Amino acid sequence: MGKINLKTTVVESREQRLGTVVAWDGKASKLSEASLYSSGCGGDGKGCELCEIRGPFSQGSVCSEQMVECQAGHVRDAVLIQHAPVGCALGQVDYNSLYRNGLAMRNQPVENLRVTCSNLIESDMIFGGSNRLAQSIQDVYDRYRPKVIFISTSCATAIIGDDIDGTATEYEEKLGIPVIPLHCEGFRSKHWSTGFDSTQHGILRQIVRKNPEKQGDLVNVINLWGSDVFTPILAELNLRVNYVVDLATVEDLAQMSEAACTVGFCYTLSSYLAAGLEQEYGVPEIKAPQPYGFAGTDAWIREIGRVTDREELAESYIAKEHARVKPKLKELKKKLKGLKGFVATGSAYAHGLISVLRELGIETDASLVFHHDPVYDSGDSRQDSLGYLIENYGDIASFSVSNRQQYQFYALLQRTHPDFILIRHNGLAPLASRLGIPAAPLGDEHIAVGYNGMINLGETILDIIAHKKFHEDLSQHVKLPYKKWWLNQEDPYILAKEPDLIETI
Amino acid sequence: MIEKTNSISQVRYACSIGALYTASSIPGVIPITHCGPGCADKQFMGLAFYNGFQGGGYGGGAVSPSVNASEKEVVFGGTERLRELIKASLKIMDADLFVVLTGCIADLVGDDVPSVVSEFQEKGVNIVYAETGGFRGNNFIGHELVVKSIIDQFVGSYNGEKNPHTVNIWSLLPYQNPFWRGDLSEIKRILEGIGLKVNILFGHQSGGVEEWKNIPKAGFNLVLSPWLGLKTAQYLEKKYNQPFLHIPAIPIGAKETSRFLREVSEYAGLDREKTEQFIQSEEKEYYYYLEHFSDFYSEYWWGLPAKFAVVGDSAYNLALTKFLVNQLGLIPSSQIITENTPDEYKDGIREEYRRIADDVTAGVDFVEDGYTVGKILEETDFGHKPPIIFATTWDRDVAKKIGGYIVEVGFPASYEVVIARSYVGYKGALNLLEKIFTTVIGRSA
Repeated sequence: MGKINLKTTVVESREQRLGTVVAWDGKASKLSEASLYSSGCGGDGKGCELCEIRGPFSQGSVCSEQMVECQAGHVRDAVLIQHAPVGCALGQVDYNSLYRNGLAMRNQPVENLRVTCSNLIESDMIFGGSNRLAQSIQDVYDRYRPKVIFISTSCATAIIGDDIDGTATEYEEKLGIPVIPLHCEGFRSKHWSTGFDSTQHGILRQIVRKNPEKQGDLVNVINLWGSDVFTPILAELNLRVNYVVDLATVEDLAQMSEAACTVGFCYTLSSYLAAGLEQEYGVPEIKAPQPYGFAGTDAWIREIGRVTDREELAESYIAKEHARVKPKLKELKKKLKGLKGFVATGSAYAHGLISVLRELGIETDASLVFHHDPVYDSGDSRQDSLGYLIENYGDIASFSVSNRQQYQFYALLQRTHPDFILIRHNGLAPLASRLGIPAAPLGDEHIAVGYNGMINLGETILDIIAHKKFHEDLSQHVKLPYKKWWLNQEDPYILAKEPDLIETI
Repeated sequence: MIEKTNSISQVRYACSIGALYTASSIPGVIPITHCGPGCADKQFMGLAFYNGFQGGGYGGGAVSPSVNASEKEVVFGGTERLRELIKASLKIMDADLFVVLTGCIADLVGDDVPSVVSEFQEKGVNIVYAETGGFRGNNFIGHELVVKSIIDQFVGSYNGEKNPHTVNIWSLLPYQNPFWRGDLSEIKRILEGIGLKVNILFGHQSGGVEEWKNIPKAGFNLVLSPWLGLKTAQYLEKKYNQPFLHIPAIPIGAKETSRFLREVSEYAGLDREKTEQFIQSEEKEYYYYLEHFSDFYSEYWWGLPAKFAVVGDSAYNLALTKFLVNQLGLIPSSQIITENTPDEYKDGIREEYRRIADDVTAGVDFVEDGYTVGKILEETDFGHKPPIIFATTWDRDVAKKIGGYIVEVGFPASYEVVIARSYVGYKGALNLLEKIFTTVIGRSA
């Protein structure tokens, strides 16, 4: 693990820093082994011997710029400018819906997001688009008087070579507020999570307070729009929550350097920012398993207690919650008995969800993650979320990495025929539906966090199992867009292994 | 009025590659996108999900094959990768026709997509391409590019007989307008009612690629929109010697729909008696319902709106304004067209609003940026009562601010679930009335 490099405006991509892969298939234990977590990426000279199995076929994925919209575009008193042709601006529509629903969930006034596109056209591709960027910076400043202006790049601006950093610097001086370029063109990284890192890189460089005054009871919680489950948990330890990045204010972001520690609900999301805060400002990142299931949550609470000097409070909270939750869980397990689940979400988040499913007694012998990071930015083995899952809850026989490839998802479902799936990101649940399988879309990402998360997730599963009637009925009346040859394939990665197959129709 | 700049906030259309939903709207057609990893997803989420939750269907959504271009395709070109993806798509995907759409990357690095696609065409594969890089224009432009590609590269030349009573319909932009499916069904139904055979071309009632093959055999084209489809019709006129009828306003309500049917009937030389019979039976039903509705409309005690604004694409904007003014007796206060209408059509559209009724004229603004739309609405004098704002999700905040009622009728409609609903013709008008007045009286619920 190298240091996080804040010297340049461009973030290093996930694959450069962490050896991220987006296509892999096998047992979870095999993946964990191949990631060589304990010795660190490349630490023992073997490197990360993770062989990616990418084939000739692919379906539309997701890009880094979308993740920038979802984070930088959701800072409440900042504005994000998309320096791009108008197609990139389409993201404004879905991120507005997420923003409005997120605000409602956190009891904030509901309003539109203010993401603005510089709307590059054909002539800009020849003569450059810097003047349009400058105009849009002036426009959003005049319109909204934001505390910060973020600028996201696009595939088009990267190819034509606009000097975005130069324009940003010029306007930062002119307007007297941070103007932050976020380099996130989609083609640069094979996985969209680099977009998280890009936003967090910009925040670390240009927003976080450089001369912090410690707030010993403040905890940075790196999350998205999820419901406020961290406040009641951390209040038990007399700690206050500082939610970042989504729905935060610029001040919330600035004070991150003053916090006692940093936590998250998912290491995929929090890795870069948390490591950066520790490296640059000495704010410790909690190095523990993620807060899912009894084992993970216990260890997580204990580590927060240790780092913030609240060990007794931590122990009494743990004991109290065990006593409260265990009888409820027992009842819930009876109702969930015999069910088989499948998780299809982001990487570290899936590790947490599978733990919870297994706490609930739900069989989970197959799952997919959209990518896999062999290591997180801290390089600390206490954060080995996959290893921790396997160690505490056992192996997962079919564990696949597939960056939202619906055609592979079909074959993966045929391996296990689950009763339901847990998903984030769109596009996979519609296929499951056509196969008669209900999905729980976890829009509120906090639903499974902590002790109560086990109850929440269990109840959510019971709700969606009832939907099965709808999906089964539908499955009798639709034709899938895949050929029989593909539908009969047992190996979802066959084209990667035998690419010559595409030479014959 | 705010000075227009390049900035676009609250986006109200997609880019050219959004026309992948033009392709996927044709039954049996699967688009292949030659672009970056996020382009197709953005169009999916924007057009097909948070816009009436229309759904990706057979070939859209997360189904469409995509190159997901990486640094390699940028530096070395993406034709090899595209060739490989097409081969794999033929192996895996079950389609009657593939439509390759290019994005910014392919168009900027200069990939020779025509020659890659033609390799497959020469082998008899049903596949066409369209160059739809986002900087070339919006999804309205992309739509016409895709249509032309299919006609040129798939339908091909034709010199045979034509059936004078068959018509090709060029109307609403699929997916951009969340009600396109229900509306095209209603348009097809009423035209068949007066005796036409209708190639509706998009949506479940289209016969798919076979119907597209029959385009040249139709007696004429009907462009039922202010401008979208005109280029296509002019091209077909040249290519197949096929005349077209242009009717800018999609009819809503019995008065306008009956007038529309008489005009089409006369143009196509249909049996006048049959046309009148159909109109009569439709009007009988329509006015039966309206008679009962009139109890509410004439004496609901708690106030109904008098003024309205429409914000959205010219097609629905004009159609709604005509209906609301002429058949409901509402007063137009602000009409804002947001689709980036090509300049050459603007005067014609202004003229439609100028003579919206014998005794009413309306002005129209052409604006794309949502912040500017909001300012115009805030500054509009709606008089002493709350107006109805026919608009999009973006306009909810300003509608709330000025105390108006909002009915989402256009992209993006993130607070509407649309399945088969139509707002046009005879039947759609009744749905529209229900929607408007349920929204209005629901405020005190």
